[in-house]
Amino acid sequence: MNLTVNGKPTSITEEGTLSISQLLETLKVAQREYVTVELNGEILERDDFDTAAVQDGATVEFLYFMGGGAA
Amino acid sequence: MGETESRLRFDTLLIHGGTSPGPFGATKAPIVQASAFAYDSAEELEDVFKGRAIGQVYTRIGNPTLESLEKRLTVVEDGIATIVTASGMAAITTAVMAIVRNGDEILSSSSLFGGTYSLFRDTLSNYGITARFVDPTDLGALEASVTAATRLIFVETIGNPKMDVPDIAAFAQIARRHGIPLMVDATVSTPYLVRVKELGADLIIHSTSKFINGTANSIGGAIVDCGSFNWQSEKFPHFATFYKKYRNFAFTARTRKLVHKDFGACAAPLNSFLLGEGLETLALRMERHCSNAMRLAQYLAAHEKVSWVNYPGLPDSPFFEVATRQFKGRYGGVLTFGLADKASAFRLINGLRLAKNLANIGDTKTLVIHPASTICADYDAEVKALMGVSEELVRVSVGIEDIDDILEDFAAALEAIP
Repeated sequence: MNLTVNGKPTSITEEGTLSISQLLETLKVAQREYVTVELNGEILERDDFDTAAVQDGATVEFLYFMGGGAA
Repeated sequence: MGETESRLRFDTLLIHGGTSPGPFGATKAPIVQASAFAYDSAEELEDVFKGRAIGQVYTRIGNPTLESLEKRLTVVEDGIATIVTASGMAAITTAVMAIVRNGDEILSSSSLFGGTYSLFRDTLSNYGITARFVDPTDLGALEASVTAATRLIFVETIGNPKMDVPDIAAFAQIARRHGIPLMVDATVSTPYLVRVKELGADLIIHSTSKFINGTANSIGGAIVDCGSFNWQSEKFPHFATFYKKYRNFAFTARTRKLVHKDFGACAAPLNSFLLGEGLETLALRMERHCSNAMRLAQYLAAHEKVSWVNYPGLPDSPFFEVATRQFKGRYGGVLTFGLADKASAFRLINGLRLAKNLANIGDTKTLVIHPASTICADYDAEVKALMGVSEELVRVSVGIEDIDDILEDFAAALEAIP
C-alpha cells in the first residue's frame, strides 16, 4: 500500500485496508497517546482510530502539540 | 504514569518519578541553557513547526530542562501534563486566560493570596472578565453564585494568609454539577499534604518558588492538568477544535499552542533545574515544617501576650476537622497569630533574631511578615477582612531549624513587648 505520510511517500507491506490504530502500530508512531491524525485532510476523532479505514493512496498526517510554534 | 512508577510511594516518586537518565549516565537532568535549537535541514525544522515531529524550537515554547521538571511534576501530582512557568502568578494568569473570555465570570474563594486577588479584581476586570468572591466555607453561597457566565471555580487548599481550609471535594462536586472546571492553588499544602486531583481538582496551580523549591533560590510556577474535565461543552466553544484533536489533553494543548506561547511567561532552565532539586526533598522538609509549625502554634496559643493563633492543626481551629480529613493529619508550615495591636506586631517582628522579615513562604528559614502593612497593604478594610488580614496579625512560615531555637527566638521577642 502506498501512502503519503507527513508529506513523504511511504510504502507499507500490508495490503487492503488498515485502521488508523493498525497504521500507528505499523509505522511505530511516537507518543501515540498524544498524536492527532488527519486522514485525507480531515481531523479524525480519537474514538474512530480503530474503525477509520486507510486505503491505498491515502494522505495521512500525524501531528503533535508539544513542540513547535505553529498552532 | 509508568507501571513501575504507579507502584512507588509518594516520597519515592518525588525522587524517581518521571526522571530519565541524563547524558554520560548523569543522575541529573542537564541544564540546557540555550534559547534556540538548530536543525540540519529546513525540512526537519518545518516538520517540527508543523507539529509533524516532536522537537525543541525555542525556550519560550519548550526546553529539555523545563520538560524534565514538567514530567516529574505530572507524576508527583498524578496528572496527565504540566506546563512550568516563570512564577506562580504566571501560572495562574496563563491557566485562567486559557479558559475565560470577555464576558465570562470566575467564581473564586474570597480567601486568596493578595497577588491572585489583585489579578482577578484589578487586572482581569479591564478585559471584561468578572470575578465573584465568596467565603469558601459557605458552600451554599458558592453554589448560589454560579451564573450562566461562570466558566471557572478557583480556590486555594489553605488560604494564604487567612489559613482557612476549604472542603475541596465539596467545591469539586459543585463544579461538576455545573460543568465548570475547578482550579486549585495547592502552593501552601503542597502535594505532600494532599494530591488535590484525588479531591476532584481539574487543574492544579503551584507557586513552585515556595515549598517545592524549599530554599528560596528560584521563582517558578506550574499548571498541572489532571485531564479530568470534559472540554466538549457549549460553555467552551473555543476548546472545540482542541477537544476534537487532543481529547483530554485539550486544555494543555490550547494553553501551550496559544496562551502560554503568546504571553511568553516561560520558566528559566536554571530555575527549573533548581526547582527539581527542591522537589526531591519536599517530603522530608514538609515533615519538619509541619511538626515545627505545630509546636510553634501550641507554644503561641499558650502565651499570654498572644490573642489568638490560626493554624488548622490546633483542635480548636474551625478548620481542624476538614483539614484532618483532607490532609491526613498534617497541617502545613504556615500559621498566623494575633498580638494586642499593630505596634505589638511590629515590636515582635523587630525583636526576632532568627526569623527573617520578608515576603515569602516555604523557605528552610523561619519567615515572618506583617501582611496588613505589606503584601495586603493595597486593600481596604473590607477586603482585608475577607482575606482574614487584621492589623495585629503576624504570618509565620515556620522553617526547618531546630524547633527549640525557633521557640527561643519567639519567646525573646514576645518578652520584649511591653
